[in-house]
Amino acid sequence: MRLNNRLKFRDLLALVFFLTSLVIGCAAVQNPTLEGAREAYEKALRDPLIARNAGAALGRAGQTLQTADKIWAEEHDAAEVEHLAYIVQKRIEIARTIAQRRVASEEIEQPQSSR
Amino acid sequence: MTIRLRNCSLVLMTIFCVGCSASEPAPTNRITQADLAIRAAVDAKAADLAPVELQSARDKLAQARKMMAAEKYTEARRLAASAQVDAELAEAKAETTVMRRAADQILRTYKPPTEAERESRKPLTSEPAAKDRATQ
Repeated sequence: MRLNNRLKFRDLLALVFFLTSLVIGCAAVQNPTLEGAREAYEKALRDPLIARNAGAALGRAGQTLQTADKIWAEEHDAAEVEHLAYIVQKRIEIARTIAQRRVASEEIEQPQSSR
Repeated sequence: MTIRLRNCSLVLMTIFCVGCSASEPAPTNRITQADLAIRAAVDAKAADLAPVELQSARDKLAQARKMMAAEKYTEARRLAASAQVDAELAEAKAETTVMRRAADQILRTYKPPTEAERESRKPLTSEPAAKDRATQ
């Protein structure tokens, strides 16, 4: 009887462990395309050239990333999230390009102002 | 009673299916925005300066229009949004290329003024030396 009880307790423990790992596992499932976009966004955030010259443009990338995160968390819609991740990557590229344009613009203004 | 319940569930299922299919409206605005973004990119000379991005935007917009005609609104919306962002990138790249070329041109032709030139450009002051120089 005591052995039987112990077995039951062990089974219950195993079940609890299984369910907990299932819940944690499901919550931690990541979308590789979305993670790629996040990595690119975080790298762009650390780039002083972009931060100084194209903060607003990079902000748009951040907003799209937030939308993608929300959809992934609530709906797990892989097609929509991958589409949004593409938009994030392109917006980062736009921000980088705008930053390069501002640098060129400053180079034009600097020698003129010192003349 | 059983028949009534079955009927009720059938009605609910129909409402659910209709609701699901009608959840995405036709992305007419998205298509217009993508079209405008492509025009802006063309005006910024993206056809010459960012041809890959511009062509990608045009191809996606054409596909989006096909999906609209086929009433595949989700695909149409995604394609139009991608076309718009590709066109915006094309425009940004074209404008940056123009600016970079202008900066390089100025830096090539610009020579910093010599010490003598800088001296001669100084505004005339009340100092006697400056007055003398000015009268000479």
